[in-house]
Amino acid sequence: MAVLAQNLSRGAPRWLARHETLLAAILVVALVILGSFNERFLTIDNLLNQGRLMTEVGLIALPMTFVIVTGGIDLSVGSIVGLCAITLGYSWKTFGFPLPLAILFAIAVGGLAGFVNGLLITRIRVPPLIMTIATLALYRGLAEGVSQAHSVRGYPEWFFFVGQGQWLGVPTQLWILLVAIVVAGVALDRTTFGRTLYAIGANETAARFSGLSVDRVKLIVYSLSGLMAGVSAWVLVSRVTTTRSDMGIGYELDVIAAVVLGGTSIFGGSGTIWGTAIGLAMIQLLKNGLALTGVKGDATIVVIGAVLIASVLIASSLQRRREYGA
Amino acid sequence: MNAKLMTTVASAILAMTLATAGARAADHWDGGDDLAVNPLACGAGPAAPAAAQPYDGGQATGAPDKAGKPITLVDVPKLIGIGYFNATSKGIQDAAKELGNVTATTDGPTEAKIDEQIKFIDNYITRGVDGILFAANDPVAIAPVLKKALSKGIHVVGYDANSTPDAREWFVNQSPFNGIAKAMIDSMAKEIGEDKSFAIVTSTFTTPNQARWIAEMQAYAAKCHPKLKWLETVEAQEDNVLSFNQATTLINKYGDKLSGLFGMTSVATPASAEAVTKAKLCGKVAVVGLATPNAMKPYVNAGCVKSVVLWNPVDLGYAATYVMRAVVDGKLKPGATSVDAGKLGKLNVINGSEILLGAPFIFDKSNINTFDF
Repeated sequence: MAVLAQNLSRGAPRWLARHETLLAAILVVALVILGSFNERFLTIDNLLNQGRLMTEVGLIALPMTFVIVTGGIDLSVGSIVGLCAITLGYSWKTFGFPLPLAILFAIAVGGLAGFVNGLLITRIRVPPLIMTIATLALYRGLAEGVSQAHSVRGYPEWFFFVGQGQWLGVPTQLWILLVAIVVAGVALDRTTFGRTLYAIGANETAARFSGLSVDRVKLIVYSLSGLMAGVSAWVLVSRVTTTRSDMGIGYELDVIAAVVLGGTSIFGGSGTIWGTAIGLAMIQLLKNGLALTGVKGDATIVVIGAVLIASVLIASSLQRRREYGA
Repeated sequence: MNAKLMTTVASAILAMTLATAGARAADHWDGGDDLAVNPLACGAGPAAPAAAQPYDGGQATGAPDKAGKPITLVDVPKLIGIGYFNATSKGIQDAAKELGNVTATTDGPTEAKIDEQIKFIDNYITRGVDGILFAANDPVAIAPVLKKALSKGIHVVGYDANSTPDAREWFVNQSPFNGIAKAMIDSMAKEIGEDKSFAIVTSTFTTPNQARWIAEMQAYAAKCHPKLKWLETVEAQEDNVLSFNQATTLINKYGDKLSGLFGMTSVATPASAEAVTKAKLCGKVAVVGLATPNAMKPYVNAGCVKSVVLWNPVDLGYAATYVMRAVVDGKLKPGATSVDAGKLGKLNVINGSEILLGAPFIFDKSNINTFDF
C-alpha cells in the first residue's frame, strides 16, 4: 500500500499527462458532436480559419503559461497589444520608419513594457496582480494618448501576408504559432529554465535557498510576455489592416482562460504548454462550433464559462485523488 | 521594501491614468480619419442635392439568383443588448415580416469590439447565409471579412456605421454627418444664443461616428455661428454613471460660463440632462443631444430639455432590409438613383453607393410622446 502511494505521488508528471489526455478526449468528443450538427464545421477550410483567428491570443498564452507556472499573473498583455499596435502604426506613418523596422520597434516596445512589469515585480516586490493591473491602465492610457483618436491605415499589400496570407495552404500566422508552441513546450519541458519555473511556482523561498536566480528568471518571463504581446499586435494589425488604440482590450481574460483550462494551476508549480495549446483550441472551436450550430453570441459565452468551471472541478478532484487517494 | 507603500503608489498611478485619459481641449478635430469636413449651408431650408457620383461599392461574385425566393439574412450590429440596436433589429424583423420571404436573425458581440465582430461575421460566412447586414465598429478593420463574404457570393449591406465602400454593396446612411452636425449646432444656438459657451460629453475620441460628428460640428459652428465658444470635450465611454459624473464636473468647473451641454451618445444625453436637473440649472444650462425618445421623455416633458436630435432607428433597420431584398431581386443595381423601401417610400441614392434615410429628426415636447423606442 505504502509503495503504491509512493508510486502515485511520484507520478506527478503522469497525472499532468492525464489531465491533458482527458482534455484532448473531451475536445475530440466535442468536435464530433458539433461536427454532426453542422457539416461545415469539420472542414479543413474552417479549422484552418479558426487557427488563424486564435493565433493572437495563442501567442500570448504561451509566455502566460510560464508566468502562471511561477505563481504570477500578467493582466497587462491586452494593453501591451494596444500600445504595440499604436507604436507600429505611428512609428511607420508619423515618424517615417521603414515598415520592417517599425514592426521590430513595436515588438521591442512590447518587450520593454514587459521588462518594466518584471523589474517592479522583482525589485520592489509589488505583487504581480497589482503591478499589472496598474500597467493595464497605464499602457492603454499611453496608447490612447499617443494616438489621440486617430487610426493608422493604408499599409502596403505585402504587410498583410502575415495576417491574411498563407504558406503551403496553411495561414501564415498559424506557422508562427506552431513554431512558438514547440519552442515554448520544449523550453518548459526539457530545459533548466523550465525546471526553474516549476521550482519557483512550487516554493519560491525554497527555490531561492537552492541558489536559483529567481529574480532574473522572473524578469525574463515577464519580458517574454510583453515581447509576445508585441508579436501578437503585429499579427493582429496585419489581419485587420488598421491600427486602433482599443486593440487587444479584454485579451488578458481570453489568454488566462485558455491557460487555466489547459490545466495550469493558478497557484503556480504545475502546467504545460501542451495543455495550454489544447485549452486554446478548445475555447476557439467551442465558440466556432456553437456559432455554426446556431447558438447566439450571448449563450456561447455562458457555455464557455460552464466549461471552464467544469474543467477546474475535474482538475481539482484529480489532484485531490492524487494527494489523498490510494 | 515596503510592499504596502508600493501598493499605494501603484494604485495612485492607476488612478492618475484613469483620471487623465478623459478630457481634451477643443483644438482641431478631424474626426479620427483622413476625410475632409463638409459643412452645410447656414440657416434653414433643405440642402442642395449633391452632384451624382459614380457607384463605388463592391459586388458579390457568383451569388446565386434568388430573385423573389426566400432568403436568410444575418444582422451583425456593433453590439447587442442596447436599446438602439434593439430598435434597428425590430425594424429588420418588421420588414422581414412585411416582405414574407426574408428570414433574419440578429447576432453579435456583447461588447463593441472589432475583432469579436469580425469573428461573428466570419462564422456566418462559414455557416452560409444569403446576405449580411452590418453596423461596423471600424470601417477599415471590418473590410477584409466583408470582402471575403462578397467573394463567396454573399450580399453585404451596411447601416448605421459604414465600412470602406468597396467592402460592401450599399450602405444605408441614417443621416449624413454634416446634417446631424447642423441640426445640433443650430438647435444649440437657438436655445442659448449666439455668443455663449458650451461643452460636449462624448463616448471616446476614437468612436468613428461621434468623432466625425464633432469634427463636422466644429466646421459648421466656425462657418455659421462663429461667436459660439467651445469650452471642452470629455470622454465618458457609453457609461451612465461616468457620463453623469463628467457632466457634473463640467457644470462645477465652468459655473456661469457654461450655457449648454451636448450629449453625443444615447447614454451621455440623458445623463447630462440628469446632471443639469440635479444641479437645479434647468433653463440655465441647455442640453442638446443624440438620444432615444424613451430615455428623454422625463426631461423633455419637465421642460429641462428642448431638442433631442436623432433619426428613427426602427426605420433604419427596416430600410436596410428592403435594400438587401432589392439587391437580391436585382432591382437595385449600380447606377440606380433611388430604391423602393416599403412604407418609407422611395429613398434616394447619395455619394455613389449610399442610400439616404432622410434628414435628422428633432424630437421636442410636441411630438416626443408619440414615439416608443
